[in-house]
Amino acid sequence: MRAAMNTKRNLVTAALVAPAAAWLTVFLVLPFIAMLVFAFGERAPEGGYQVAFTFAQFANLPTRAAAFWNTLLLAPTGALLCLIVAYPVAYYLAVKANPRYRLILVSLVVVPFWTSLLVRTYAWMYILGSRGIPNLLSMIGIEDVRMLNTPGAVLLGIVYGYLPLMIMPIYVSLERLDRRLLEASADLGAKPVSTFFGVTLPLSLPGVMTGVALVTILLLGEYLIPQLLGGGKVFFIGNALVDLFLQSRNWPFGSAIAVTLVAVVVVVLMVAMRIAWRVAGTRQVDLV
Amino acid sequence: MTKWYRDNAPITADRLADELMRLKRGSVTRRHFLGVTGLGLATAVLARQPGLFNSTAFAEELGTQMSIATWPNYHDPATFEAFTAATGVAVEVNVFGSNEEMLAKLQAGGTGWDLFVPTNYTISTYVKLGLIDELDMAKLPKYDASTENPRFTNEGIVDGKTYAVPKNWGTTGIAVNSSKIKTPVASWKDFFEVAMTEADGRTMVHDYQLTTIGNALVSLGFSFNSVKPEELAKAEELLIKVKPHLYAINSDYQPAMRATDAWMTMCWTNDGAQLNRDMPEIKFVLGKDGGEIWSDFYAIPNSAANKAAGYALLNYLMAPENAVKEHIANGAPTTDSRVMKLLPAEVTSNKIVYPDEAALTPLEFGAAVTLTDPGRAELMARFKAA
Amino acid sequence: MTSASTNDIEFRSVAKRYGSVTAVSDINLAVPQGAFVALLGPSGCGKTTCLRMIGGFEQPSEGMVYIGGQPMNGVPAYRRPVNMVFQQYALFPHLDVEQNVAYGLKQMRPRAATAEIVRRTQEALEMVRLGGFGKRRIHEMSGGQQQRVALARAIVNKPKVLLLDEPLAALDKKLRTAMQIELQSLQRELGITFLLVTHDQEEALSMSDLVCVMSTGRVVQMGPPQEIYDRPASLFVADFVGKTNRIAATIEPGAGSVRLANGVGLSKPARANGTVGAAMVAVRPEAISLVRNGTATLQGTVTHRMFLGSTVEYSVEVEGLGDFLVTADRRNESELAEPGERIGLNFDPNAMHVFPA
Repeated sequence: MRAAMNTKRNLVTAALVAPAAAWLTVFLVLPFIAMLVFAFGERAPEGGYQVAFTFAQFANLPTRAAAFWNTLLLAPTGALLCLIVAYPVAYYLAVKANPRYRLILVSLVVVPFWTSLLVRTYAWMYILGSRGIPNLLSMIGIEDVRMLNTPGAVLLGIVYGYLPLMIMPIYVSLERLDRRLLEASADLGAKPVSTFFGVTLPLSLPGVMTGVALVTILLLGEYLIPQLLGGGKVFFIGNALVDLFLQSRNWPFGSAIAVTLVAVVVVVLMVAMRIAWRVAGTRQVDLV
Repeated sequence: MTKWYRDNAPITADRLADELMRLKRGSVTRRHFLGVTGLGLATAVLARQPGLFNSTAFAEELGTQMSIATWPNYHDPATFEAFTAATGVAVEVNVFGSNEEMLAKLQAGGTGWDLFVPTNYTISTYVKLGLIDELDMAKLPKYDASTENPRFTNEGIVDGKTYAVPKNWGTTGIAVNSSKIKTPVASWKDFFEVAMTEADGRTMVHDYQLTTIGNALVSLGFSFNSVKPEELAKAEELLIKVKPHLYAINSDYQPAMRATDAWMTMCWTNDGAQLNRDMPEIKFVLGKDGGEIWSDFYAIPNSAANKAAGYALLNYLMAPENAVKEHIANGAPTTDSRVMKLLPAEVTSNKIVYPDEAALTPLEFGAAVTLTDPGRAELMARFKAA
Repeated sequence: MTSASTNDIEFRSVAKRYGSVTAVSDINLAVPQGAFVALLGPSGCGKTTCLRMIGGFEQPSEGMVYIGGQPMNGVPAYRRPVNMVFQQYALFPHLDVEQNVAYGLKQMRPRAATAEIVRRTQEALEMVRLGGFGKRRIHEMSGGQQQRVALARAIVNKPKVLLLDEPLAALDKKLRTAMQIELQSLQRELGITFLLVTHDQEEALSMSDLVCVMSTGRVVQMGPPQEIYDRPASLFVADFVGKTNRIAATIEPGAGSVRLANGVGLSKPARANGTVGAAMVAVRPEAISLVRNGTATLQGTVTHRMFLGSTVEYSVEVEGLGDFLVTADRRNESELAEPGERIGLNFDPNAMHVFPA
């Protein structure tokens, strides 16, 4: 009887999990295996892949050191800048904004996200290009300012593009924050600034960690913003991959880089999760 | 109008808005887009609605949909609209920034292209890899081999079989904004020097190994097509030295040149003609130390889903009365004497489009080996990733 | 009204409005130094609003609030010499027990020496009998322990007044009783004023020196627990504080009598004022005794019996007056009755509280 029930329960579980498992197998696991196989192969003379077993591709990784460094430097930097801009916005939305307008204000943050990042980044090309801000500057006598295709433009595009992804988790953690904790802090003599650093900030850390991890990980694979706002000069790993697969057709080397990137992402994710969980672990409040 | 849209600005506010809306819908015809992404991700669907005068029988035979892979700003959109009106076949346009990209896509498979526009030096590789078939000339009655200039047709013929027919020819020269740059630029040597001095931060090179590496080689006194490791090493050294001074590495240089974000760029004939037509201060010069002369071809991938439509469009484009409109619109020189006769004098006398033979003498056609040479491919990738 | 100097907390004509909603109005209240005062009332009566105005989380719309004789209007919460034990404690989940308790000490300016902070933290924890629990995380503590942490956190800064917002509401009955005793002794030990907000009349009566009963945003009676219980100022207080039987009646003028709705006449209680006409009479259940002879004031039928341990509660239906609640001492055998039994109800007319209807 019990066994039969267990079997039934297992079947139900299997039925629920099967579509996701199939999806992941076909679109994640199999491609990843293919990538692993490619990474140890060779580039065919005309490009593509030919069977071999070599570590040559991995040995060649140092030639993309600059792209790795750019990515590993600009992704966290971008995420941190994002955080600096996002936190006050999230704080305002969750704590200060009139609850009556909160929903509208939150949608204002989210709505631009419904437009393709491509379009929004493209718009920045015009804003930063000669007809945009530099043109305005030329009206007050500052000529020939170049903004587009600089690391600064890339960072700006990153902050702009990923801002909602950073705002939302922080907003959620701040919104869930028990207001009585803030009152308790004030009651115990903490000035608003001390309350912020003693209570608000630590309790919103899980949201901050989520946002930073999310944005950093997505940025590790970013190629569009560097391409559009960096003029192809500010190179991310993503751009190196696009190049290897779509220009030089070096699938094995591209796969080796991709595998390495995945490994980096996994490490970053694990570290971030560990920190987030440690912070979040203390959130289990017994309210009753 | 404010200064914003004044002098030579080809894009008006309305047009910018319109363009963004089109981008938003995922259908883009403008070159900025695909060239910039370097991916050929977006496509433009021109004239989807069937024409008014199409014959039903014809439409059934040709289907209602086809796709072409080509270069940015290389066609008159009216041409495809007219073709759709005549046949009922809507043409989807995919735009690319390098031959390597096209090859990569075809190698990966599943492109869905029924017609594409490879450059001379790639044809033999496509044949070798079995990616294109011999053309069935019976389906191209409008093509006349006898009126074509053999200088530009021979690479479409491999082992006596015609695999591709020419679209137009051209050169890769230097476009320079003379109102911003006073130093005379007459060679690739000048180009790279000015790029690091007067045009610092304002120079563009192609996201394309053939021309970017080729012109760097030329500036150093080597062959445009060199694959010799020691010569490539010197070229790499130069490119990496120049890189911090560049505005962008991008085959889509027209918007930046028009906006005067960039002041100097590697430039194809047709773009040079277009830029100079709209902004006379942008001059187009050929390197006196060398550079590229090229011809582009039409070919049909053997993976084409709708070969009938591919042939129909190709035949349509081969008709001189249609081709002439294309040439006037895109500004590239023709290979076909029938078209030449139809072109207005101001086009045929334009020295950018039809330079003196002497200016062409130092130029080289791209060599097939450059397409697949791993040394060049890897050099380009390293240069970009540096 | 006594002078502000001897009162730790004083409200003068305080009102608080939220838009068009009036939470409290015309509150005049004086909490003497060192007293244990309960603000008692049903939910929505404004007692928590009063507490929050003392804590500094709300500002009065009208009137003045004084703490230790100092006007507090406009003074932020973090500058007030009071501390609060919040409903459901509001402990900081990211800090351990010790850090929670030390939180207030760390806010002192100029900064307190670390050794001093440690010493006072331990002292406070000892005081609530949580010595040795300092390194525990909050979520590892039981409800009762969390309550003690909240207490320790609130007293560590030695406030003039300790505010307690329904502090025992979340505890089970047994723990609640234990904590009531503990709170009382803690208050004596600290010698500071405790102001407790509660809706539990038993809690208010058992713990405090003074009970302030509130209803619909106003103070309806304030006095020692016994006085509140024995001499309710209104039918509401009689009803809300303890159990009561309400009898419709008419008061006849002169030396006359109290005529109950069923026609039974009783002599007027000594402390009844000059009320004449329609009235309500309140009689506590324990003031009524069950009798089996004919001299009973009222006759009725026992409908229910509830055994409560030391006492037994009867519901007795009296014709024309409805159900009466009667509490009988279990040891008094003559008072034991069976449901269905006819029985007489007897009470001293002086046990009656007469209120105008």
